[in-house]
Amino acid sequence: MKTIGLLSVLFTGILLMIAVVDFPDWGDPHSPANSYLSTHYIEDVEEETAVPNMVTAVLADYRAFDTMLETSVVFVAGIAIFAILRSIDGTSLAGTTRRLQRRGRSKKEKRKGQGRNRRDEMVAAAEREAAKPDLIVQTTVRLLMPTIQLFALYVIAHGHHSPGGGFQGGVILAAGLILVAMSFGLENTLAQVPEKLSLQLGNLGVLIFAGTGVLCLLLGANFLDYHVLAAIYPATDEIMARSHSMLVVEIGVGFTVMSMLYLIYANLSSHGDLKKGL
Amino acid sequence: MDIVQQAPILMILCPFLGAFAVSLAGLIQRRWCYPLTVLFTAGSAYAGLGTLIQVLRTEGGVIRYRMGGWEPPFGIEFRLDALNAAIALMVVVVALLVAIYSRQTVASETAGKEGHFYTLFLLLTVGVLGISMTGDAFNLYVFLEISSLSSYALIAMGRGRAAFSCFNYIIMGTIGASFYLLGVGYLYIKTGSLNMTDIARILQEHGLYSSNSVRIGFLFILIGVWIKMAFVPLHRWLPNAYTFAPSTTSCLVAPLMTKVSIYVMIRIMFSVFNPEFVFGVGPRSDLVVWLAVIAMMVGSFYALAKNKLKMMLAYLVIAEVGYMVGGAWLANATGLTGAIFHILADGLMTLALFLAAGAIYYKRKSYNIVATKGLFGKMPFTMGAFAIAALSMIGIPPTCGFFSKWYLISGGIEAGHWGFVVGLLTSSMVNAVLFFRILERAYFEKPELPYEPGRQGKNALNFVERKGVDEAPLTMLAPLWAASLGLVLLGVYSGVVIDFISRYVNSVGFQ
Repeated sequence: MKTIGLLSVLFTGILLMIAVVDFPDWGDPHSPANSYLSTHYIEDVEEETAVPNMVTAVLADYRAFDTMLETSVVFVAGIAIFAILRSIDGTSLAGTTRRLQRRGRSKKEKRKGQGRNRRDEMVAAAEREAAKPDLIVQTTVRLLMPTIQLFALYVIAHGHHSPGGGFQGGVILAAGLILVAMSFGLENTLAQVPEKLSLQLGNLGVLIFAGTGVLCLLLGANFLDYHVLAAIYPATDEIMARSHSMLVVEIGVGFTVMSMLYLIYANLSSHGDLKKGL
Repeated sequence: MDIVQQAPILMILCPFLGAFAVSLAGLIQRRWCYPLTVLFTAGSAYAGLGTLIQVLRTEGGVIRYRMGGWEPPFGIEFRLDALNAAIALMVVVVALLVAIYSRQTVASETAGKEGHFYTLFLLLTVGVLGISMTGDAFNLYVFLEISSLSSYALIAMGRGRAAFSCFNYIIMGTIGASFYLLGVGYLYIKTGSLNMTDIARILQEHGLYSSNSVRIGFLFILIGVWIKMAFVPLHRWLPNAYTFAPSTTSCLVAPLMTKVSIYVMIRIMFSVFNPEFVFGVGPRSDLVVWLAVIAMMVGSFYALAKNKLKMMLAYLVIAEVGYMVGGAWLANATGLTGAIFHILADGLMTLALFLAAGAIYYKRKSYNIVATKGLFGKMPFTMGAFAIAALSMIGIPPTCGFFSKWYLISGGIEAGHWGFVVGLLTSSMVNAVLFFRILERAYFEKPELPYEPGRQGKNALNFVERKGVDEAPLTMLAPLWAASLGLVLLGVYSGVVIDFISRYVNSVGFQ
């Protein structure tokens, strides 16, 4: 079996190398990838969408449909983790995790208290030590949190003018929440940002994105054809409507990414019972 | 809003928006999830019908839908022609039938998580549907991601070994998706475009068929979809994943995932590339057909060795994949027609069989073949529909299985590939043995009594025995019969469907 694996890896590797030989040179301005679609995007993006950041324009307008689906991929990932790990009645499906928690002892041994050795006790002591709140960490997090969140909002809001956008901003927001969960304990964090609320936010995010598209449909254009939304935004022409809509959908992406990453962390770190995190 | 023009996007939007509606409803009241799911899949099926009619009426038989109103190579488009309009409709019909069917099974097998289950169910539908409709190679990958991720979760929600067999599937599925993406990346580097029609045009105009990276890109895409469709020798993940999944999941995943991957293969082979390239410089086509023959043999004979109904059906899926891949690689129009028709026929057959297996499990609490003893007396309607599906699987007229096999065999004879012809006939014989073994038991033998409760072991039957007819509920029987009657109808009207498919096959341009 190992030989077959090795051979197929070698075979794929050789194919990859053969293919690379045939590639256009690095950064060649005349290569198809650089001269066909990109030229249009680079030259006409300002006129067509009024957005200086062409990456965002491609992502949130020309190929907005892909981005909407990518957002729902993040959503699916969250729901999938939730569906598999989250224990409804206190029993988790993840048998391996429980076996690890019992440190390899069988259920019987655990009940009788057998098989417990010094290493276990040391691990337990270390866990108790780690669970204590740490003043320095908590104060630092308190100081950092507003900055992190403000920066995340900037990244989302400014995504169509400078590097950034919904995915990046959402990840920063989620990182902030996870930081709080790690320093103040998962249960405290869940009291502030409950599981149900984050699920709702996750749904809301994709619905904002898809809703923008459906609004275009209702106003008589194709799905995600933002220019008709000029009728809704105050004092906007059809080109600016595209720019504004990109901001709207980026906000939606931010919601989903933040809440889903946070939920994935909460479920993974607590083996699905959302009680004691890392 | 011109509702007819927007039919293709409404087809996707119904389950897509539905998924989030169901997810939110599940947080408030779990009872609402089931009716909402049925409602949204029904809406999608209605839009699908509209789309198909539109394709039939349009001159040239191609409708294109531009996302965001952008011109195709710059934006993404949905492109529906004679190849995928019928397949897309089949996808939504299957989703609708499984949604109706799922009422009891979901409540009993994934209790407490109905909201998440139905959310993933609808998103899987979105993914598979999108794969079959999009005209953009990268957009197809995104849909592939959605459908794979949700199918992983849906399979892992089963009990017992589900999580482990799903893990195998995740590893294999991810490798497959990476190969596909790598292949698309190579095509992008050489052509600079992601739109399938546009790639085909550039390949033709710039004479890129002789380029090594294009050839290797094609090979990578092929390997990717072969993993996704469980083509021998890349099939090992499938039987366990499909067997240990919750029964609603296997009813949805088994008819859709492999069939849609075959559609992708055909689309890439004949719409992005052309027969001249594929059969000229691609992997040797008769080699692939021989692999397909091996797939038929492996699938059929392993199925014969299994005594678990669902495991048996899972192996049959592998055999059927062999039929379709073989048909597409025979390099003639008849074989390709057979393969495309078989995608539709096999989708419905697999659906009917898995629905029946789920209904039997629901009543008898076992997938063991022993549990089917005397079932014609106990569950006459379930077994009746099962028998029709079995006949179609064997290939007996007037069911559609006969007609697709007819085209496949004629294609084999035309190509002079006798191995394929003999393999297909042998596989059909094995199917006959397989199904008559079950039907005989179900018809002639006395029903098995439940063993005393608490008794464990391989053959433990722990169902509640009732006197007289003990039939599955109507919500399960209605979709099952709809699928079985669909098989007969598809067989009776096979001429119309074949005419429609041959519009695409004729445009491919075989020599």
